[in-house]
Amino acid sequence: MENKLYKYSSSPHVKAPRTTRQIMVRVCIALAPAVIMGTVLFGLMALLLIALSVLSAIASEFIYLLIAKKSFKSILRQFDFTSFVTGLLIGLSVGVQTPLYVPVFASAFAIIVVKMLFGGTGKNLVNPAVTGRIFAFISFTAVMTSEWVAPNIASLVGASSVSTGATVLTGMLNKEASVMPMVSNLDLLLGTGVAGCIGETCKVALLVGAIYLAIDKVINILYPLIYVAVAGLFSVMLGGFDFSLFLPSILSGGLILGAFFMATDYTTTPNTSLGNVIYFILLGLVTAGLRKATGIEVVSFAILLMNLFVPLIDKFVTHKPFGFIKTKKTKEKKNG
Amino acid sequence: MKNSFKKVALGGVITSNPTLKLVLGTCPTLALTTAAMNGLGMGAAVTFVLICSNLLISLLRKVIPNQVRIPAFVLIIATFVTIVRLALDKFLPPIYESLGLYLPLIVVNCIILGRAESFASKNGVGWSILDGLFMGIGFTLALTLMGAVREFLGYGTLFNVQIMNFQIGFFSSSAGAFFTYAVFIAVFSLVSSLISNKRKRKAFAKTQTPVQDCAKEVE
Repeated sequence: MENKLYKYSSSPHVKAPRTTRQIMVRVCIALAPAVIMGTVLFGLMALLLIALSVLSAIASEFIYLLIAKKSFKSILRQFDFTSFVTGLLIGLSVGVQTPLYVPVFASAFAIIVVKMLFGGTGKNLVNPAVTGRIFAFISFTAVMTSEWVAPNIASLVGASSVSTGATVLTGMLNKEASVMPMVSNLDLLLGTGVAGCIGETCKVALLVGAIYLAIDKVINILYPLIYVAVAGLFSVMLGGFDFSLFLPSILSGGLILGAFFMATDYTTTPNTSLGNVIYFILLGLVTAGLRKATGIEVVSFAILLMNLFVPLIDKFVTHKPFGFIKTKKTKEKKNG
Repeated sequence: MKNSFKKVALGGVITSNPTLKLVLGTCPTLALTTAAMNGLGMGAAVTFVLICSNLLISLLRKVIPNQVRIPAFVLIIATFVTIVRLALDKFLPPIYESLGLYLPLIVVNCIILGRAESFASKNGVGWSILDGLFMGIGFTLALTLMGAVREFLGYGTLFNVQIMNFQIGFFSSSAGAFFTYAVFIAVFSLVSSLISNKRKRKAFAKTQTPVQDCAKEVE
């Protein structure tokens, strides 16, 4: 014990006092406004969906670990809230009209297949919440995307409430002029009178949570802002430099939730700041481009796709070793 | 290397199962297992081609020059694939249509060429036919089982009979094909390693018992 000071090991040498559990609890707190607003807008059914999703995520992690012959006590001691966050995000990203089994299946798939089979927290190749959402989208396409339910609070600005047939983005992408001009940007921001997923509808709640995370230094607010800005600007470019498209394209769909809470996952982002900038710019381009090309909401698909490029980015954008000076000699050595 | 019926039969179906152990012929495995019936049809077609090509290649194994053996094998296989295609088109048009492009692709199926190269060109006619039969059975079993699982989860049906109304579309998509295949390989190797471990332990126990007996006798 006395020569603890002189022990040497590989990096990281300086450890922050913050644990995974503390970070994940902070993310849960940051998502609380979105959960509350989702319940206010869509009723108790929304809360039930979220609760089931979270329960399923935690239960599948426990069952997996029990099958792997871990004792119940050690599971409880090591439980970080990552599966709680995954379940929360999946619950927030389904519509209130979806049957109850959808988030249950999606969470179980996300935890068992995407996270635990790859080795647990911090070892997953792609973001579990995003993949769970895509699993639900592919598996239950009909119930996930049809019959969007309008929220309880009617539109503040527009006179008539929004149609329940399609979310604004679907209308916008498919050039349904009847849907698009009826929704003001303020309504999109507040989520009033806009049909959509439980957590994605009220952007203000999400932004409040994101600001909390940024102030608490859980996430670097710059990166998701780059993502949102690039996605918006690229949509404007693809729409023929029609700048009225900028706000609707970033305020509709799952872009805000995806950018601030899903894309910023530590495990599935590059290690360096330059790598992160590249990653989020590419993410914005892919999102806007695929949105235009497919006509559906693709934020989760874009994140999944770019997650797979993270190891590649990490390979090419590496930290400069401390004290490294790039001289002519090293260059000659490389060439020779 | 001596052949025995047990060795060839077990080899084809279990110990070197072409789909789950050798991971050969993955293209039809991934694409055609959306339904159990497809798997069965594909398996039957491949089994027929495998038996016939093994038979012919084994007969001609001393005639075919070593340098051009691969083109010769492909030519023989292509002959039988054409026979299967024409026969299916005439007598079972629904299966012919559901297999589609993958039927002519049997020509380049690694399983058939692999067996021709590693077994039929080195062994007698009888063994080659047996090997073709059991390799075909192993392939058919794997494809049919995978097809059944994917059809049941993806469409709620089994051999086109509606069983439940609940569907998980993921399993009928191509991503689900990779996932199901991976799970099958994992479960298969888990079970086979468990069995071989047990066998090893038994063999170990057998070698141990006489020693203990001796010890008792000494006492």
